Order: sequence, then C-alpha cells, then structure tokens
Amino acid sequence: MSVSNLLENWSQFRHAHPVDDKPHDPYKWAMSIDLDACTGCNACSIACYAENNIPVVGKERFQHGQQMHWMRIERYWDEDGRDFPDQGAQFLPMMCQQCEAAPCETVCPVAATNHTADGLNSQIYNRCVGSRYCSANCPFKVRYFNWYDYPTDEAVWPAEMRQQLNPDVSVRSKGVMEKCTFCVQRLSAAKSVAKSEGRIVREGEVQTACQQSCPTGAISFGNLVDPESRVHKQWQAQQVELDKDKQAKDEHEEGTDLRGYRILEELRPYPSVMYLERVRESAV
Amino acid sequence: MKDIREDIAWAKINQDVMKSLENPRRLYWVILFVAICAFGVGVACEIYQYRTGMGVANLNNPQVWGLYIATFIFWIGMSHSGTLLSAILHLMHADWRKPIYRFAEAMTTFSLMTAGLFVMVHIGRLWQFYYSLPYPNERGIWPNFQSPLLWDAMAIFTYLSSSILFLFVGMIPDLAIARDNMADGWRKKLYTLLALGWEGTDRQWRNFRVTYLTIACFLIPLAVSVHSIVASDFAMSQAPGWHVTSFPPYFVAGALYSGCAAIITLFIILRYVFRFEEYMTKSILKKIVRLTFAIAMIWTYLNAVEFAAVWYSHDEASKAVLIEKATGTYAPFWWGMIFCGSVVPLVFAFERFQTNIPVLFATSLLLNLGMWLERWMIIAPTFSHGIYPWTWDHDQWPSMVQWGMVFGSFGWFTLLFMIFCKVFPSVSMYEVKEMVYHRTLHLKKSETAEQGAH
Amino acid sequence: MKIKEFTREAVMIDSGSIKQLAGHPIDRRDFLKVLGWSGAAVALSGCGNTSVEDGKETVVSYVEANDYMIPGVGVYYNSTCAQCDAGCSINGRVREGRVLKLEGNPDSGINKGKMCGLGQAGVQDHYNPDRVREPLLRNGAKGETITWEKAYALIAEKLNGVKGEEIAFLSGGVSGHLKALLGNYLDSIGTKNHFVYEALAPVGVRAANLKSYGVALPRYRLDKAKVVLSFGADFLGSWISPMHFSQQYAQFRKGADGQRGVLIQVESKMSLTGANADRWLVVKPGTEGVLALGIIHALGTASGEIAELVKAYDRVTVSKATGVSVSQIDKIAALLKLRSPSLVLAGSAVEGYAHGAQNAIAINLLNHVLGNVGKTIEAPVAVPFPQLAPSVGNTASLKALNDGLAAGKYKVLFNFAANPVFTAPGAFKFKDSMAKAGFKVAFTHYLDETALQADLVLPLDSALEDWGTQIPEYLADGMQLNIQQPLMEKLHANTRSMGDILLALIKQRRAEDYKGFEDYYAYLRSSLLQNKGALGAGGSDDDNFWNEALTKGILKIASSAAMLSDKAAASGLQLPKAEEVDAKFPMHFIPGVTASMRDGRHANQPWLQESPDPLTTIVWDSWVEIHPKKAFELGIAEGDIVEVTSKTGSIKAQAYLFSGIHPEAVSVPLGRGHEALGRYAKGYGVNPFGILDAVYDKETGELAMHETRVSIKKTGARVLIVKDEGAAGGLQMGRKIAVSKTTDQVDLSEEV
Ligand SMILES: Nc1nc2c(c(=O)[nH]1)N[C@H]1C(S)=C(S)[C@@H](COP(=O)(O)OP(=O)(O)OC[C@H]3O[C@@H](n4cnc5c(=O)[nH]c(N)nc54)[C@H](O)[C@@H]3O)O[C@H]1N2
Ligand SMILES: Nc1nc2c(c(=O)[nH]1)N[C@H]1C(S)=C(S)[C@@H](COP(=O)(O)OP(=O)(O)OC[C@H]3O[C@@H](n4cnc5c(=O)[nH]c(N)nc54)[C@H](O)[C@@H]3O)O[C@H]1N2
Ligand code: SF4
Ligand code: SF4
Ligand code: SF4
Ligand code: SF4
Ligand code: SF4
Repeated sequence: MSVSNLLENWSQFRHAHPVDDKPHDPYKWAMSIDLDACTGCNACSIACYAENNIPVVGKERFQHGQQMHWMRIERYWDEDGRDFPDQGAQFLPMMCQQCEAAPCETVCPVAATNHTADGLNSQIYNRCVGSRYCSANCPFKVRYFNWYDYPTDEAVWPAEMRQQLNPDVSVRSKGVMEKCTFCVQRLSAAKSVAKSEGRIVREGEVQTACQQSCPTGAISFGNLVDPESRVHKQWQAQQVELDKDKQAKDEHEEGTDLRGYRILEELRPYPSVMYLERVRESAV
Repeated sequence: MKDIREDIAWAKINQDVMKSLENPRRLYWVILFVAICAFGVGVACEIYQYRTGMGVANLNNPQVWGLYIATFIFWIGMSHSGTLLSAILHLMHADWRKPIYRFAEAMTTFSLMTAGLFVMVHIGRLWQFYYSLPYPNERGIWPNFQSPLLWDAMAIFTYLSSSILFLFVGMIPDLAIARDNMADGWRKKLYTLLALGWEGTDRQWRNFRVTYLTIACFLIPLAVSVHSIVASDFAMSQAPGWHVTSFPPYFVAGALYSGCAAIITLFIILRYVFRFEEYMTKSILKKIVRLTFAIAMIWTYLNAVEFAAVWYSHDEASKAVLIEKATGTYAPFWWGMIFCGSVVPLVFAFERFQTNIPVLFATSLLLNLGMWLERWMIIAPTFSHGIYPWTWDHDQWPSMVQWGMVFGSFGWFTLLFMIFCKVFPSVSMYEVKEMVYHRTLHLKKSETAEQGAH
Repeated sequence: MKIKEFTREAVMIDSGSIKQLAGHPIDRRDFLKVLGWSGAAVALSGCGNTSVEDGKETVVSYVEANDYMIPGVGVYYNSTCAQCDAGCSINGRVREGRVLKLEGNPDSGINKGKMCGLGQAGVQDHYNPDRVREPLLRNGAKGETITWEKAYALIAEKLNGVKGEEIAFLSGGVSGHLKALLGNYLDSIGTKNHFVYEALAPVGVRAANLKSYGVALPRYRLDKAKVVLSFGADFLGSWISPMHFSQQYAQFRKGADGQRGVLIQVESKMSLTGANADRWLVVKPGTEGVLALGIIHALGTASGEIAELVKAYDRVTVSKATGVSVSQIDKIAALLKLRSPSLVLAGSAVEGYAHGAQNAIAINLLNHVLGNVGKTIEAPVAVPFPQLAPSVGNTASLKALNDGLAAGKYKVLFNFAANPVFTAPGAFKFKDSMAKAGFKVAFTHYLDETALQADLVLPLDSALEDWGTQIPEYLADGMQLNIQQPLMEKLHANTRSMGDILLALIKQRRAEDYKGFEDYYAYLRSSLLQNKGALGAGGSDDDNFWNEALTKGILKIASSAAMLSDKAAASGLQLPKAEEVDAKFPMHFIPGVTASMRDGRHANQPWLQESPDPLTTIVWDSWVEIHPKKAFELGIAEGDIVEVTSKTGSIKAQAYLFSGIHPEAVSVPLGRGHEALGRYAKGYGVNPFGILDAVYDKETGELAMHETRVSIKKTGARVLIVKDEGAAGGLQMGRKIAVSKTTDQVDLSEEV
C-alpha cells in the first residue's frame, strides 16, 4: 500500500472522457438495440432473471417500487392526444448503459463500482456499503438495491428453486447495489477460452442472455473495437461515435436518415448502448 | 433594558454557575427521561431495520435516499451556529457572546454526533461502514477520493474533532474553578484531570489566549467548508434540482440559520431551567434574534436566486422538479418550508417581539421546522421526479421506521446536552467575569467623562 | 428401476463461446445411469443440491466427478419446451447435475434458438415448490399419501365391471407416443370417450381455414409478405407459434429489398401485436368480417361470386358498421393494391363470436382476392404417422363431457393436462358436474382446481424429467418429431412419467402385448427404432440413430405437402346485421389472452407473475381495461375496483384506463384468479372464465368467448395499481428517450 498505488488504483479506472485517455484494447463490449424489431415481448427480461439470479420480490414489494428487473421493458404512447393509440405503442428495453464516463462511478465513496478495462461498468458486491449514491446519480435509474435479504427469504427462493441459481453469478445479499452486468460471467468465460487459445473472442462466440433469447434479434452485442463485429459495423453505419456527446450527423439541419442514437447523450455519460429508432409507415 | 449587572460579585458568578452542576430539579429529570424514551424508539427502529433490511424504511428505486439524509443535513446545519458563531464573535470581541458560547459549542458537538448516526443508519451495510475510511490494507484498496461522500466523511470528522478541541480549550479555566470548588469525589478527579493543572498564571493565560485564538481562526474556514462539502453531495451530482452552483453558500446560510434558531430555543430553555436570568440577559437574546433575522433574509434571497437560476435555465428536467415541488405531492411541505423559513422570521423585525420570550420560543421552533423541511424538500422531489420519467414515483412515503429514527435523534441530542449541562459549566464563568469587568470599565469611563464636562 | 444402457452426447459444453465445443468427446457417457436411475439417486447432486428423499445435503467429490459432469462447467442437452403447444426445441444448461437455464435449440426450424419468457420459466415449473410429490387418495376433505402399487390397484378395482361408455378420459392436446399409448389404453378399457380440451385453441380459425384453404392451419409466411393485414391475430404474443412468427416478423420488418413490411392490425382490444402495428384500427367487436368484405369491395378487383357477395358492403355502410373511417378503408385497399404479396390473418379475436367461423372465412376471402394463396399462404406438410399426429382440443368436447357428467353418464373420470374447473366457462358449472362422477383420477403436477376435486391424485414428473415425443400442430418448418428427454434426475422420488403410468395401467389389461417394455423409455426407444426407416435413418445402426436423435432433440422427417385449395369459399357466407344492445348488459366482454399467462396453467411461475404485462405493465394481479372516455362517462378512475357482471356471474378487479380498447368493450386478462395451484398463483387476481356465458359458434359449436355481454359498476373501493409504469404513465415528457421515424425519413437498405 502506497500513495502511488492509491493514485494508480483510482486514475486507472476513472475516465473524465472515454477512450482517448485510455483506449480499449482488445475489448470494448457494446450493444445496439433495434427498437423497430423490438416487440416488447419481455423474453429478454425473463432471460435475465434466469441467467443472473435476480430475485422475484413479490406483489407487496413491487408495489413499494422495490422490483429488481435489471432489464425493464418500457412502454410509451404517442403524445398526440388522440382517442386511440392508432400507431401502436413504443417499447424500449432499458438496462445499465455501461457508460464510458459513468456518473455512478465517480460518486461511489468506496469505489465499489468501476470501469473495467474492457469497457464495462463493474459492480463489486463485496465492496459495496450500500450508500446508494450511485443510483442517485444514474440518469437512467437502472441500478437496483437489495432492500431485503432475498437469498434467505423462503418466499423468494424456496429450497427447490434455489437449485436453479446460476453458480457463475453471485447471489446478492441484503444492502448491496446491483444492475445489468452485460452478463459479465459469460464474457469472462469466453475471454478465458480465447486466451487459452492465444486469440481474442470472435464475433458470435459470446451472447448476453437477453440477446440470446430475443425472438426478433433486436439486440446485438459484441466487441466494438473488433471491425468484424456486427456491433462495430452497426455503430459505424449509424455514424454513432462512442466518445462524442453530440454526433456529427445530428448537426445537419435537414436531419439524417440514420436511426442510431444514444439516450441522454447530452449528459455526457457516453453510453455503450446504441438504440435504433422505431420506424412507422407513413403510407397508412 | 436590563443588561448584565456590573456590581455582580465574582464569587457569586462562580456560585450561580456551579449551582447548575448540583442536584438537579425535577424538571431536569423529566426532560432526561423523555429524552431517553425518544432515543429508545430510534434505537428500536434501527435494530429492526438492521436485521430486516433497508426495505422496512420504505425506500425504493428511484427513491433511494429519504429522511435519513435529510435529517443528517439538518443536524450538520444545527452544528454550524455554535462553534462558527462563537469563533467569529470571539474574533470580533463581541462581549455578549461570552455567556452563551459554551452551550452553543456543546450544541455543535452534539449535533455533529447526531448527524453521524444518520450516515450510519442510512447505509445498506452498516457492518461494512469502515470501507469508506482510508485505512491501510494489504490489497491497497482505497476509498474513492473523487466521491463527495468521502469528502463529507473527512470534513465532518475534522469539524467534530476541532469543535471538541475548541470547546475543551475554552473550558480549561472554568474546569480549574470547578476543581477548586469541589469537595472530593469523582467530579473533583475529573476536573483535576481536565484542568491540566491550570493555575491562571500570566504565562498560562498568554498561551491560552494564543491557542484559543488559533483554533478559532482555523475553525471559521473549516465550518464554512464543511457545509459547502455537504452541499457538494448534491451540487456535484447530475440530478435535476441538485445540480445547482449556488448550493454551497445556500447550504451554509441554511446551516447558520437553523443554528441560530436552535441557539434561541436552547437559550430560552437553559435560562429557565438553570435560572440563568442574571447572565443570559434579554439584551443578549435581542442580539441573537437580530442576527438570526439577517441570516433568514440571506437564506430567503439565496432561495430566490436558486429558483430564478433554474427557471431561466434551459434545463427542462430541473424546471420540472421545481414545478413538481410547488404543485406536486410535496407541495404542502415545500410551501411549509417557504412559510416557516421566509415569512415567520418577519416576526423578528418587530422590536417588541425581539425580547418576548414566549413569541421567540415558538418562532424559533417554527424556524427549525422550516429548516428541516428545507432539507427534506431538497431530497425527496428530486428522486420522485428525476431525469428519467419512466421511473417517476410520486406515491412513496417514508415508513414509521424512518420517522422513528428522526424522532429518536432529538432524544439522543437532548440526552447528550442534558448530561453535559450537569457535568460541565454551561456558562463560561471566567468570560462572564471579563464581561462584567469590561462593563465596569465602560461605566467608569462614562462617569469620568461626565466629571470632565463640569 | 433398472439401469438404462445407452449413450447420448451433449450438444456442447459451457465456454461462453456458444457451440464452440459442440459434441465434445468427454461427454459420451451413460447419462441416465449416472443420473442415478440405477437407484444411486443423488449420485450427482452438486453443492446445495439436496436429495429430496432424505433432505440431506449430499456433497460430491470433485476429485472424481462423473465424466459428463465437469465441476463448474455447464453441459447442454436438447429437449422440447412443454410450456405451450408451439413445440419449440430447447437446449438446457445442466451443471453439477442441475438444470439451470433453458435456451432455444438453434437447429429447430420452429424457434431457431429463440425462446419466449413463458418458455424460459419452464425451470420454475420443474423446481416449483408446490409440486405434488406423492400419490394422494381422498379421505374426506383431505388427501392421504398412498403407494403407487395401491394407486394402480385402486384404479383396476374401480374400473372393474364398469362399462366402457361409463368411463371418460379428459386430456389437453396430446401428440406423439403418449397419444398413441393413451389411445391404446382407452382401447384396452374399452372406451371411446376421449375428450380433448384446450381452452384457447384456434378452433374457429381451423374450421374457416378448412373451408377457405382446404387445410386447418396453412403455413403463414409473414417473411414473404410486404403487407400484413391481421384481424386480431396476436402472432407476436400468444397465437399458434409466436417464436416462429416473431422471427418471420423481424425479416418482414427488414424487408427483402430494404422495403419495410407494413403491419395493419384490426381488433377491438389491442394485443401485443397490435401494439407493434404501423396502423392499429379499433373495430366494433364482431364486425371484423364486415370490414374485410368492405375492403374487398373497395379493392374492386373481385369478380363473380365474391363480387356478388361484397356488393352490399360499400365503404359507407361498412364504415358505419365497423367504426373504421372510409378514408382508412381506402388507404388500406390502396396499399394492398400497391404492395404484393400481402398476407391477411384471421386470428383468435375474430373467432370468438356466434358467427366466428363466418367472420374468419370472410377475412380469408381477402387472401384469395389478393392472390396470396400459394404465395404467403403455403401448404403445410402432412404428418406421415396419423397415430402420432396431434389431437387438438376444443371447448365443444368439454361441453360434451360436461353434459355427460351432468347427466350422470360417467362412473370413472380421468383427467390429464387440463384444468377445466378453472378454465371452463362459468355457465358450465363444471365443478358440480364433475362431482357426479363416481371416481375421479387426476394425473397432475400440482393440486390445481381440478385435482382438488379428484378422488385420486397421481403426481407426474416435470417436463424436464420426463421422456416423450411430440409433434406440434403447426409445423412451421417441415415435418419434425420433437424429442423430450430428462435434463436432470428426478427431484422427487415418487413422481412418475405419464408414459410409465399409462404403461403400468395398460399392463393391467394387456400384460402380454406390453411385457416387452418395462417402462415408457423402453417403449419409446423401440418404437422409434422400429420406424427408423420412416424416420429417415434407414440402415443406420440403432445406437447411432438413437444417440443422434437424443443429441439433436429433433427428428426432421421428409414428408409430402398437404393439398391447398385456391378455391374461395364464398358461398353461403353471411354475417349478422348489427344486433341491438341489451340495456342490462351493454358492454362487450373481451377475455384477454396474454403471452405469459395464456389459460393460467403457468400462473404459479413467479417470473411470469412478476414480468410486467407488456401493455399495462401490471404485475401479480388482474385488471379491467376500459377506455378513458367510457371511464370518464362512468366516473371511473385508475385503481377503482369495478364489478364486471354478466348473465353468468361477476368479478371485481381494479380498473386500468387503456385507450387501446373499443369504448363499448372491457377486457380482463385470463390466467389469474386461482383458488389453488400453489403459493405463487393462489389468491392473485380474478378468473374471467367464471363469467363467460354459454354462447356457441353456430358453425363449429365452439364456445364463442367474445359473445359475453357485461355491465360495469364502481364498488367505491380503490387501490394503487401494482405496475412498472411510473407516475408519468407512458409519456416521455419531451425527453428524447424512445424515438420514432417514419418510413420516408429512413433508408433501411443501407443498414447492417
Ligand atoms: N467454490 C469455491 N469457493 C471457495 C473456495 C474454493 O476453493 N472454491 N475457497 C475458499 C477460500 S480458501 C478462500 S481464501 C476464499 C477466497 O475468496 P475470494 O477472496 O473471493 O477469492 P478470489 O475470488 O480469488 O478474490 C476475490 C476477488 O478479488 C479480486 N482481486 C484480486 N486482487 C485484487 C486487488 O488487488 N484489489 C481488488 N479490489 N480486488 C482484487 C479478484 O479478481 C476476485 O474477483 O474462497 C473460499 N470459497
Ligand atoms: N491460482 C490460485 N491458487 C490458489 C488460490 C487462488 O485463488 N488461485 N487460493 C489460495 C488459497 S486462499 C488457498 S486456501 C489454497 C487452497 O488450496 P488447498 O489447500 O489445496 O485446498 P483444496 O485444493 O481446495 O483442498 C485440498 C485437498 O483437500 C481434500 N479434502 C477435502 N476435505 C478433506 C478432509 O476432511 N480431510 C482431508 N485429509 N482432505 C480433505 C480435497 O479433496 C482436496 O484434494 O489455494 C491457494 N492457491
Ligand atoms: S426480447 Fe427482444 S423483442 Fe422482446 S422485449 Fe426484449 S428486446 Fe424486445
Ligand atoms: S447506466 Fe447508470 S448504472 Fe449504468 S453505467 Fe451508466 S450511470 Fe452507471
Ligand atoms: S451503493 Fe454501493 S456501489 Fe453504490 S455508491 Fe454506494 S457503495 Fe458505491
Ligand atoms: S446483458 Fe445480461 S445482465 Fe444485462 S440485461 Fe441483458 S441479460 Fe441482463
Ligand atoms: S412459444 Fe414459448 S412457451 Fe411456447 S413452446 Fe415456444 S418457447 Fe415454449
């Protein structure tokens, strides 16, 4: 333990501004979600419960706003005040955006949430003291706190159900914060296999649970710095750049025919999730 | 109006003040008992929450902070008047400070100790609180020095220790008096120990003055920085309604405000309970009241500044929060804050009320209520109506567990204070003597001046 | 039980890199043997896995773990999802002997590696704490545990001297070898009374399709269509084969040439599919067929019989009847003319009327007029083995059974994979009728409402513990036989495979014929091996064939296509004139079918209870959807408890103001409101089945689920609705969160 160690420890995982100070190499995990393909079916959300040992809190706690869904499907209506929603609804899968300059990280008093070298917003349960400052500062409000001790709650995980828990994912106890991890357990597994074969993870080798279940393939996920990855190609085609808080394409006053955008970009969290705008037919 | 008497004998001063240390009146026991019960309620709530989980506080996502943080700021605010005022007034040689600064400083110390409790009951894993301290560990894992919460922890700790030091140093001569006036017993032992062998030699007095002055000078910027840092917990965040540049001065003003109000309350209580009419005179009270009024107006002004800044900004989210405050679920409390904080103090503008004990007592309580509401209104609306509409929640309400701990904290504070008053002289004897002395000098001067006229 | 000698191969093992290690050699092992069917029951319980027999932790030495079981490494086996009838193939992750998660099997043409939320929850069916674990015999009000031997003996005794026609067997839809075996058993006890009941089967649509296309379910090709005009077909949510349709939908949206497919949804209550439409048209309940004829009229391309038929359906009349504006009808007609091929779907929402089948036929006409038949309406494959082909259920057969029971015709009633006491329309009073049967046997996983009425309750293995074969009714991608195989050892020692039970029972009658198979697994294996040739593996060695079948989880079988008739069935088509409203019950009642709750058989799976309804975001409860305008009229606000009363009964539930519903209709979702079925289902919400009137489709005799009329009354009580949606409702408050463009603003052809 030394002061140099201290400075090291914390400058290493802090980004005032992403990538240029510390480029991601060889990995930068990122996602893109096509809102025109997303049907709001919830399969991804349930897949996330299954993969990540998320507790089902029950009716009463849900009523108190203590639900834990890392992936929530938001449902919006057009705001044109018509009698009927005759252009349907609009669904938006929302989970941790794995911000490059994450507002949640800077405020955590104990550095329990950090930026990893491969571009994830990590959450170290063992280190978390439960101050909930991260949640207060997360613009997307995708952090979920363990208000109760779910692992020991028979109503949440009766003995039989406990056998379904994924051993690759720690079960979070009372008083710690949690959120979408981009299924980091799958990423680690893929990386170690690749490493043992002296290469990096190839496109398609690893999927997040939500992506894997999504029946319309609305979610794509991969390594943004790998030019072969679909995510890389999509971000490029949509001219969305990770380290911009205002995309060049949005500058043209006549607008753009590209659908890619990031939510609350203007707050400069530099999210790692790009959304593709929903499309509606103009002819009917 | 009657000010402190110049002909009052020094021996009598000792006598009167030392009396406050002796066999308590019934009222004292009553207050003590009530305090203990109130504190008990708080402890029970915490035990329940500790074992079951924070959920029983009925906090949720997005409303992750509640009354704990609000009340934490409230008590930090309380702490400000005492030490800060005492130090400033000391530098300004304001004599009227002398009879009241002792208990004011005690108040600072105790409200800081109360505030600290709220940090503890707020965190989800109380048993791991020490992670937030920069202690040496083999893995070289440090807390995050970027987090305002960490600055908070440090600032408050520093402030607490310096305040205790200031209180103690200022008390040394009186402790010596106490020592010399005590029959053998644990008290005598205690005072002998704490008096550090004070004999009142010139050298001791000289060093004493220098030390006291130094600490005072050190405390003023510290006190200001403490609440600025508490303000940073909010101002440094991105949340609408918090991301406000004027927060640090606003918080400091609020702190002084609630502090002064609390001094008025306690002044009146002590004056009555310990029969300190001789020393805690109405003319002193009047000075505090005027000071409080001035601060109230500054606070009001800073409020206006904040609202205007938000209103004319292009930050729609912040504007929405402001509107929500004034019209939404919390409107009654928000307007209550405005009323108690900006309207009620107008009472102080009237000369005749400035010394009217019952009026002042009631008013000072209202001011503190207003200041507590202010802290709550900083927290709740921002969470319930944040940047992300999908997570808006206007229905969340603190559970009895939260209210219980808020209630309990007043018990804890009173408890500490009552004990202090019985163990240490809550009025500075040696400085009151100085005060009387200065006054006689002053009167002599005016006499000789008259004779000269002849 | 004796050791099974056979081997199978995992599809892959964990490594994060999906499929990377497919068919890893470490894995050729005698799986079931080590699975402990040899009696070493908990041989592979890993950390925390407790043997349910003795409740003791059983630690496995990782020093010499079983070879197929690499500590800390998941092994994947293929099987078939049993959560609904779509027949998706699943790929279960097994670790330390416990099944942890179900993924889709990419090799299946039906779901191509995808899975819906309902399917995911299959593990919660398996691990559900409320499963029945012992055979139970009614003793007064409660059931007492008995042995299987006693149970079998009891059945034999009760059947003794009972005439075949006095025995009734009620089941849900069955297919594959279980169906064959069941048939043989019924045969052996000399009864023909097999009632197949499914509460939510597309019966009217089947009937209509037979008339319109000559087949009950043609292959729908959304992926080939440029326009999909769907009349109440919730193909993204709960209709027929949602996983398959969802993937077709994705392609349809991308469009072949970058021209995005257009979805128009016509219905009276917005479904998940409706919520994804480019244009959602609210239509007066029951007038969907009229609108279809109106569109044909507007197209003006029809000739002969059809032209005759639609003469009366000019745009103005139709607009008046349906509530869809004239200009909208023109727009649709224009679009359909412009973009071809299109696809018109008649879904479950149109069939729920006394004229339901006619409704659907009218809609199907559009496909003929637009020349879609043969293009986006394709011939399905014929199932080569009729004895394995799915026997599909309907409510009509439940009615027959109900009448029989009420008339006291049946002495013995068997029930399997159906819960009529919960799902039968209230008007049936099924519970009372059932009581009239002398001896009632329920083969079940849970003590559901029906099992509670039984005299003998026989606990079944979960779908993840059981063997089986299955042929889905809708063969989305050619003929395939789905294999179901255990993904882990039985959790409970005293549950049995339905196949084993049937085999045991049939041996009571025909011991000779079946002595060859000492259990269902043996029966299944030899039966498949006998048919190797037909199953497209002629000549190959038995073990290899068998291993491959188990490894793949699917047998793809060459088969001829059925005949599709392109002759439109216009003759005799007639739709009712608008009926006058009954002042006492002025509102239409639409039972809502949601993707995760369906008919409620999975309501005890917590993931499904807590997964917000996509449209209302409500969890753990029922609600009454009512249009804001109507609500305002009746002074109803969100959260008001309202009473919904029909001729048959009434229910009370919280009102949810929902603009996606016809103002003259209210809707309550099906599936909740259980009085049994365990801790996660019991007492949550209300059961709308209970207030359904007995109105039938004139043509099919099927229950007309949308014909019930109701009245709405405020009770004065009010609750806070438990939902995910926040105080802002579905509004973004001008913040750029979920953004839309119109097709003329985008260029999809450029996209990756
Ligand atoms: N399944 C299983 N469980 C076990 C054991 C087992 O053999 N198998 N062994 C038991 C025993 S004996 C022990 S000692 C415990 C050990 O339990 P843990 O302490 O959890 O051991 P690790 O997982 O090695 O370390 C925890 C985390 O510390 C991180 N880490 C490493 N160095 C540093 C550092 O310098 N700073 C920070 N912040 N993090 C660091 C690692 O990346 C890892 O994510 O496990 C116990 N539990
Ligand atoms: N790469 C790497 N190496 C590590 C660590 C790491 O994190 N990473 N962790 C280090 C740490 S913290 C630890 S504690 C060590 C642990 O390393 P070890 O002490 O080797 O612990 P194990 O290998 O888990 O157990 C040793 C053997 O004890 C056997 N055993 C189990 N129960 C009993 C018993 O009752 N009696 C006897 N006689 N034998 C028994 C087990 O079968 C096993 O073969 O590993 C250290 N080495
Ligand atoms: S699974 Fe896919 S389609 Fe369904 S909600 Fe999630 S992202 Fe949308
Ligand atoms: S989305 Fe929220 S939790 Fe996730 S990284 Fe960004 S700020 Fe942190
Ligand atoms: S809740 Fe945990 S992670 Fe979040 S800020 Fe507090 S300590 Fe850090
Ligand atoms: S990436 Fe993984 S953790 Fe995140 S939402 Fe998807 S499934 Fe959940
Ligand atoms: S649609 Fe869903 S529930 Fe039905 S079989 Fe497929 S995965 Fe299973």
